[in-house]
Amino acid sequence: MASSVPFHHLACCFSVSQQEKECFQQQLWRTTRARYSSSRIRATQQAVKASSVEVPAFPLFQPSQLEEAASEQLEPADPDFYKIGYVRSMRAYGIEFKEGPDGFGVYASKDVQPLRRPRMIMEIPLELMLTVSKKHPWMFFPDIIPVGHPIFDIINSTNPETDWDLRLACLLLYSFDCKDNFWQLYGDFLPSKEECTNLLLATEDDLLELQDEDLASAMRKQQSRAFEFWEKNWHSGVPLKIKRLAREPERFFWALGIAQSRCINIQMRVGALVQDANMLVPYADMLNHSPEPNCFFHWRFKDRMLEVMINAGQEIRKGEEMTVNYMPQQKNNMFMERYGFSSPVNPWDEIQFSGNARIHLDSFLSIFNISGLADEYYHNDELSGSEGSFVDGAVLAAARTLPTWSDGDLPPVPSSERRAFKELQEECRQMLAKYPTTSEQDQKMLDSMSEPRRTLEAAIKYRLHRKLFIKKVIQALDMYQDRLLF
Amino acid sequence: FLPGIQVDPARLSYPFSTSSWVLGTASFLVSTKLKLKPWKNLPKIPKHCRWEFRSLPIRVARHLSKKPALAATMVSLPTTWLYQDRGLRITISPHRVRKPGLPSLFPSGVCAIRSRKQPRLLHRIRCENEDEDEGIEHVYVERPPYHSYFDSTSGQLEPASGARASIPGEDCWPEGTSDRVRAARAPAPAGAISAGSSSNGQNPGSRRRKHRASATGPRSSDAIIEVKDLGNVAAEETIVEEETAEEPRDESSEYVIYQMEPEVEEETGFALDKKLGRPHPFIDPKVKKPIEGTLPEEELWWNWKKPEEEQWSRWQRRKPDVETVFLKAMAENGEVKLYGETPSLTETALYRARKHLYKEERLRLEQEKLERIGPMAYYSEWVKAWQRDTSREAVEKHFQETGQDETMQLMEMFSYQTDREYRIMMGTDIRIKRDPLAMRLKEDQIKQIWGGDPVYPTINYKQDPNEIIDYRGPDFHEPTPNMVAYLKEHGKLISRHELEQTLAKEKTEQVELTDMDDAMARAVDIGENDVTFVKEEEETSDVEEEDEDSKLPRNWSVLKTAPELRKSKPKAKKEGAMNLDEAIDDSENLTDFLMDFEEE
Repeated sequence: MASSVPFHHLACCFSVSQQEKECFQQQLWRTTRARYSSSRIRATQQAVKASSVEVPAFPLFQPSQLEEAASEQLEPADPDFYKIGYVRSMRAYGIEFKEGPDGFGVYASKDVQPLRRPRMIMEIPLELMLTVSKKHPWMFFPDIIPVGHPIFDIINSTNPETDWDLRLACLLLYSFDCKDNFWQLYGDFLPSKEECTNLLLATEDDLLELQDEDLASAMRKQQSRAFEFWEKNWHSGVPLKIKRLAREPERFFWALGIAQSRCINIQMRVGALVQDANMLVPYADMLNHSPEPNCFFHWRFKDRMLEVMINAGQEIRKGEEMTVNYMPQQKNNMFMERYGFSSPVNPWDEIQFSGNARIHLDSFLSIFNISGLADEYYHNDELSGSEGSFVDGAVLAAARTLPTWSDGDLPPVPSSERRAFKELQEECRQMLAKYPTTSEQDQKMLDSMSEPRRTLEAAIKYRLHRKLFIKKVIQALDMYQDRLLF
Repeated sequence: FLPGIQVDPARLSYPFSTSSWVLGTASFLVSTKLKLKPWKNLPKIPKHCRWEFRSLPIRVARHLSKKPALAATMVSLPTTWLYQDRGLRITISPHRVRKPGLPSLFPSGVCAIRSRKQPRLLHRIRCENEDEDEGIEHVYVERPPYHSYFDSTSGQLEPASGARASIPGEDCWPEGTSDRVRAARAPAPAGAISAGSSSNGQNPGSRRRKHRASATGPRSSDAIIEVKDLGNVAAEETIVEEETAEEPRDESSEYVIYQMEPEVEEETGFALDKKLGRPHPFIDPKVKKPIEGTLPEEELWWNWKKPEEEQWSRWQRRKPDVETVFLKAMAENGEVKLYGETPSLTETALYRARKHLYKEERLRLEQEKLERIGPMAYYSEWVKAWQRDTSREAVEKHFQETGQDETMQLMEMFSYQTDREYRIMMGTDIRIKRDPLAMRLKEDQIKQIWGGDPVYPTINYKQDPNEIIDYRGPDFHEPTPNMVAYLKEHGKLISRHELEQTLAKEKTEQVELTDMDDAMARAVDIGENDVTFVKEEEETSDVEEEDEDSKLPRNWSVLKTAPELRKSKPKAKKEGAMNLDEAIDDSENLTDFLMDFEEE
């Protein structure tokens, strides 16, 4: 904390930024949740199309009824966006890039029947990317950094274990300065500083709005680290060709945010060289996150292209959003820290319960028709029939995070069960009460703000999503109590 | 290989290693033949054996059977012909021509084969089928066993040759091909022209929706709708159908415009002739422009002028040749008479031809004399001690008496020759001056021919006696240029007398020039214009300076770096009297010195 104090003053004058795809992601989650739970929670002003995230685990597909509500918010991206890549051998098949109020997304432009093999929707040649190897001999594909350029010394000075994002940010900044580099064109379609939701660009007020001290302190640490790095390498004495890359710390923060939120880690093979690299891949980074993605990345080594492919057996309807999973099994605070977005229906969110009250796991799962193993819980639509729209990611998260017991065929004892979920509900209510604002107040704040700073908005949403999640757990426990048969 | 034995009329030679094998096989064959009546029942010989037989001397028999006359001659061949390498190819024993002693000549273990069948003239060792025996073996190119086949990839009958089989389906394509095809078939991005333009990395996010909306805000709403429509159309068109391969939209590709139909050009006249290679003028007659200022051919014949030949390099000078110098020396000696002072090229050529002819004539005379009086009489000129008669009769008589022929007598005579006489005869006596004129050549003439080095020729070191000099040229009748005269004529060289005059004038003028300006005082006449020198007082100094500047001296590059050399150095040369030190001083550097040295 002490180290962040001088930084705090500095950060106050920063313009706020956010990264766009997270916003999308929030909408995505919102809508999936809305599909499940008939949108009890008032979604924010941007109603986004429902990208029905259908994994084979959810065999029954519910036609997305919110599609038309969302589609008017989306408009096709600037035609140059695809053109600049098309002339450089990037290809997109059966998809289109659309731009909503919160940023870009990739949408299917046709129905895709389930196929036995994954179907490619995008291919991006290596020449368009920016890559740095993860480990020590720093290798860049394409190798845009000339020998002896001081940016290489800066990259070389980073900690090989932890500072991958700094390296990538340096590379990104350098590519903007590199003549005829593709990223000079592509950078115009990246979110600007004002649009970035990454908390690196958040002010101290925004961090306080998070109402999560751990996350705020983590972000302060990140900010001070980035600022120290900038100060060390962009002091007044550096040569001009370094200085002009990031004259102000905001630009470096922005690049760092971009690097953090758009980095793809993939093992790529170039010739005989197999390399783990951090890559910035144009066009592929416009794919939004989903915990149940319908796409994945694949490195095609023979012509050095990154392929984005639809999962095998996945059915895609026209207009669905194509998504990938950014980070598997991570809580909201991790997403918030790195990407700047959160979700109320993150199936991997957690609540720390302090008491020793436990509910019966199998009963809970069966009531909500949740199938699968602990790592792969999913809502079994076939069992629930038409009535179950309550279950969403938050319920799955509840099934994971609620303290449970299970002992073979032993049935739950009614009295202890009732006591247990009462205790749990009480604990949840206490958690909610600890927050200075309620979720309704948060929602009202969001609605009342016109043109809010993106980071502030993200911070408020983050705490809102947390509260919504806890509320959802309380509801789930209520429903559990109602439906539990002894 | 042992030396081959010529057996066959076709004169084939055979290695020894095969011959023993042949012997065995041949006897086998013959014996079999004698036992088995019909030819057709011969045991089948393996193919390579047959081949061997065809080329081996067995063929003799076959051949002989066809030509009995030849057979007779061959049988009478010497025995060495048959047994040359101690192996018997075959013994030909027709029943009538049999030498009794022949079988005894065989080495042990070699059997003679004889015919028991009298009616047949000769044994025939059968090596080939009778039908094919006509000498020409017909070899066929193997025909394909089928002309078309059922292609499993296309499911249709495909030609086995000629036209290509159809391209198989995508499943059968090699790795990576379908990717390329798909990438090539991907529709080009459609849509309106983008409103924004690149910020070249300076302003990230500048082309996103927010900025775009503000950019398009001032426009009419129709435009926005239009953009949207176009975008929708584009969105529909970007769908890539999987089953029905969508055709790439080629009509609006901004990047490559293919020319689908070749432009048909109607070419006539010159262009057509040129294209087809028919005879045509070198220059297009439409384009051709007449050269101005030329005379017609008739006029040109009479008005021809020798082109002005500017000598801008000393390498353009004519190579001093031996003939010119000699001819001039001869003229000075009074041996010949020249039209001018120096021989013209015609005269030189004439001299050269005459010299050659005279030499030929002299040699011919000598040869005739030798033939006429005989070698003894001819060569006795150089043997003083040989007092005997050398006439032909005497030589003949001596031969009849002693049996010594003319060569022996010559050798006898030459044994009396002294060394001095030998050297004189061979022309190697240095004390005899063979060509007085050449010996009397003055040193400058020698230098002209050979250069200054007394040992090694620095010029004309390559002397081709058979060189045919092409003297044709515009200056065919011109005398060989004399550089000294040329320089004198152009004022580059002045005589000592003139120099002294000039110096005297300068001395007298120095008094007058004291009050003149520096440039004028320092200006030095290098003597290129004597005529104007007198008027120099009247001329302004500007003209003088311009004159000097406009003339580029040979060492202009030196002068550029060291401008003080430009004017301070008097270039006046002393006629002939310069010794080596002066000459070295006179020249700016060693190269100049050497070049001047060569020149003068």
